[in-house]
Amino acid sequence: MKKHYLVEFSVRHPKLVVVIVALITLGFLTQFPKIKTDTNPKNMLPPTSDVRVWNDEVDETFGLYEDMIVVGVVSDEGVLNERTLGKVLRITDEVLRIEGVSARDVNGLPTITNVTAEAGTLRVAPLMAEVPKTQAGMEGLRKDLFENPLFRGRVISDDGKTTAIYIPLEKGANGKTIADRVKEIVKKEGGPERYYVAGDPVARDTFGAEMFKLMAVFAPIAGAIMLIARYLMFKDLFLSVTLMMDAMISIVWSMGLLIALGFPVHIMSSMAPVFLMAIATDSIHIFNEFYFRYKEKKDKKAAIIETMHAVGRPVRYTALATAVGFGVLMFMDIVPVKVFGALVAFGTVALRVLSFSFIPAMFTFVNEKNIEKIAAGEETSTGRTSGFLRGLAALGAHSPRATALIGVVLFGISVFSVSRIVVNNNMVEWFKSDSDIRTADSVLNTALGGTSLGYVVALSDEDEYIKTPEAMRRIEGLQRHLEKLPVVGKTSSVVDYVKRINRVLHDDDPRFDIVPSSKEEIGQYLFLFSMSAKPSDLDNVVDYPFRKANIWVQLKTWDVEAMRSVIRAVDEYKASNPGALAFKPAGIAYFNLVWNDEVLWDMLKGFAIALVVIFVILAFAFSSAKWAAVGYVPLLFTILIIYGAVGYMGKDFDMPIAVLSCLSLGMAVDFSIHFISRLRQRLSETIQAGAPSSESLADALLWTAARPGKGIMRNAVLFASAFSVMLFAPLTPYITVGAFIVSMMLLSSVLTMIYLPALIVLFRRRLFGGD
Amino acid sequence: MLKYLVLLLALLLPLKSFAITPEEAMKNSQAAFLYQGKDFKARVVMRLISKSGSERARELTMLRKNYGETGGDQKYFMYFYQPADVKNMAFMVYKYPGRDDDRWFFVPALNMVRRIAAQDRRSSFVGSDFTYEDVSGRDIADDTHTVLKEEKLGEADCLVVKSVPKAVDTDYLHKLSWIDKKTFLPLKEEYYDKRGALYKVFTADEVKEIKGFPTVVKRTMKDLHSGHSTESTFTAIDYNMGIEDSLFTERYLKQPPRKWIE
Repeated sequence: MKKHYLVEFSVRHPKLVVVIVALITLGFLTQFPKIKTDTNPKNMLPPTSDVRVWNDEVDETFGLYEDMIVVGVVSDEGVLNERTLGKVLRITDEVLRIEGVSARDVNGLPTITNVTAEAGTLRVAPLMAEVPKTQAGMEGLRKDLFENPLFRGRVISDDGKTTAIYIPLEKGANGKTIADRVKEIVKKEGGPERYYVAGDPVARDTFGAEMFKLMAVFAPIAGAIMLIARYLMFKDLFLSVTLMMDAMISIVWSMGLLIALGFPVHIMSSMAPVFLMAIATDSIHIFNEFYFRYKEKKDKKAAIIETMHAVGRPVRYTALATAVGFGVLMFMDIVPVKVFGALVAFGTVALRVLSFSFIPAMFTFVNEKNIEKIAAGEETSTGRTSGFLRGLAALGAHSPRATALIGVVLFGISVFSVSRIVVNNNMVEWFKSDSDIRTADSVLNTALGGTSLGYVVALSDEDEYIKTPEAMRRIEGLQRHLEKLPVVGKTSSVVDYVKRINRVLHDDDPRFDIVPSSKEEIGQYLFLFSMSAKPSDLDNVVDYPFRKANIWVQLKTWDVEAMRSVIRAVDEYKASNPGALAFKPAGIAYFNLVWNDEVLWDMLKGFAIALVVIFVILAFAFSSAKWAAVGYVPLLFTILIIYGAVGYMGKDFDMPIAVLSCLSLGMAVDFSIHFISRLRQRLSETIQAGAPSSESLADALLWTAARPGKGIMRNAVLFASAFSVMLFAPLTPYITVGAFIVSMMLLSSVLTMIYLPALIVLFRRRLFGGD
Repeated sequence: MLKYLVLLLALLLPLKSFAITPEEAMKNSQAAFLYQGKDFKARVVMRLISKSGSERARELTMLRKNYGETGGDQKYFMYFYQPADVKNMAFMVYKYPGRDDDRWFFVPALNMVRRIAAQDRRSSFVGSDFTYEDVSGRDIADDTHTVLKEEKLGEADCLVVKSVPKAVDTDYLHKLSWIDKKTFLPLKEEYYDKRGALYKVFTADEVKEIKGFPTVVKRTMKDLHSGHSTESTFTAIDYNMGIEDSLFTERYLKQPPRKWIE
């Protein structure tokens, strides 16, 4: 048979095949030293994407920094004492020396610009160049801090127990490296003060680095567990290792190809090995069948060829379905998603080629006595597993209506729960709630204005317009409107400086804490301020020609929804207060929102396309749309139940879950393909012609559940056990991945076993025609 | 004996005239750069240029009068024309060596003179890259100076002096100055940040002789960290005009005599 030429060739020349595979693998291995990594999740969107270009423009216009680390210093007795302030001063001084820190714009008690009036003298100076040595000096500092709205919620908490140092990072600096250095510095200062290091770059870069590390730790552990599980199933170390090698070789090939083509290994592609390892478990069907066949034939070579003949078609189609499931990602917009899709699709194809060459070749080396011993255990009528599977199938086959009814009810509940799913992403919440990063973030968000930073840029089309009282009042109005949102901790803008100077110039009279009534006054105040302040103080909030102003919005959470609500509030404000200023969101919080939407929707789009394409493949695999529809049910049902559970538990539909959606499709469809192909094969073997009677159909169903079903179960258990390790990972997305895959595998295998028989019995006439 | 003495003197003499102490070099430089004449006037146009190339303008008349020797007291009077909304704003500084300046502002919108505390001499002058210190000078005794080498900068033979602040209150770790051996004007200065990296560069771009005094008429300060730079051009320069002491009072700050600000 032409189709199985590769298998026959491999069985006849096993050594040659192994050597060729080894050589190709070595070839790809030589590429590994060239590996480049990119741990920055930001790069999911290319630097040329609209949001990055716009954010860069805003950063440039206002001399801002993409990233900021916040260090919180907390003292239960209040931070305004000589000892704590001394520490803050020393920490700030050390921080200024760190490579990658933009020293001149570090803002903390020692460096932040303070505008005050003392005995008729205007004073613009760093707030605390030295620690006050006297009681009076300390009181003065307290007064300065608490009377100035620019400081409260920023460098001092309302209860006076928390102060913060804001550390802007130069472009390209690694947040984790700098955060680690900052941690060393605060550690030197020691207690009783407590220190917290927070901020998006810390979370982002730590996550990137941790993810790589976890992949390096997790992939081998998962591999080892699969190896042990296989050994327990087949009691043959050589074959277990062979199966393992199958996965390893395809990983080497695909990663080697990725590196050779010059792509950096991005966090997304770093997950590919684990995915491939999972996909490789599909070859277990070959082993499963091989033992049954060997038992019947007692001839190794014949058994191999017959096995490949029996499972060849389903294995090819499952591979095709998986490859296509990932392949559609290549048509998405986001480059790392494309690369990831191509990588896994390539790996899947490689795996299948190996299944038809390398694995049969390796079979020929197995000691026949060993096989005989194990094969004796593979008995469908007596085996415990087979008995259980038969029972599952009987449930569906003998009471199809009741089963279907339960299914409909479950379906309804799931659909309802799915409708409650919230699409959200929060990178800080990717860390466990007791992790340093989460703790730091929540402490600072409670005490201060918030560690998440977004901007709203006010745009006019006229130079100098920002200096007009009209523009100032409109910006101020927006600030007050935004501050009504519970997620907004604090806003600041050029208006705050103008109001501050107005008050200070009028002998600190609170009645003058307002926007002045003429443009000249505003212009002169700002000029006065710029006479002594750091240039960045003004640059950060207005552009050079005073056409644009930048409103800083500190958010109390990294939820992307927080920024969405800010944008909504801005739109409301625009609608109810029409005027010459336009407002546009920017900043890292805005970037995260766009990132979330683009990447997530890209994945969802991929998922939807894959759903359609996989149906088409099923239709081809079974040469029947009807059978495809039946085979599709367990797949859809599994996904629906899992997303239903996600919605029911109130878990956000975030990035990791979106990535998994694609995997789940490619994997869950396998079981249907195996089950239906083998069932139909069995029917064609046992029934001469025409449609099967209900009795012979039930028999065939039970046989399928017991024999290829065992392969399905083994596949699912193997898969689930390997991924269960992830439940113990320190990052929540891994826990999500682990829980998701474990439940998906078990669910889809059980649903396949119960619902396929039920549906096939119910629709017997339509599927087979005849009586 | 005498023979040896003469020989010794002959050996020492050229060395001595050559080896000016670094403190003297810095003092001469300050005299040439910031204390030239009894008084001084210039129309100053500053272009503040951001990294992205957008500009802000500052235009003012600067009047200066010396009281005492180089490094001694000085009074400055500045009257602003630009930006437009600060027209008529005026700024007055009494500079004293060794202690904080006194500074006053006239705010036309409030028709009010306000004192403004001078805290940090390293803070920005009117939002430019020049600091107050760059405009009015730094006490020579605040730094330890050493001559590193001599080298040619363009056509000029220069002494390269390294100045390390004695206190740690500056934004830089040390400064290198290229001082023209003929005019003693600083032709270039390099500021190194606390990590030891070059971060600010001053250049004297054009020098003209006015009333016999070599004067830097165009200068630039560039901040390498922020990409920001400021170009300052002096026109209508004059020396020894006999500026009266009464100019430097609150009264004239509100209403400066026309002859000085036109």
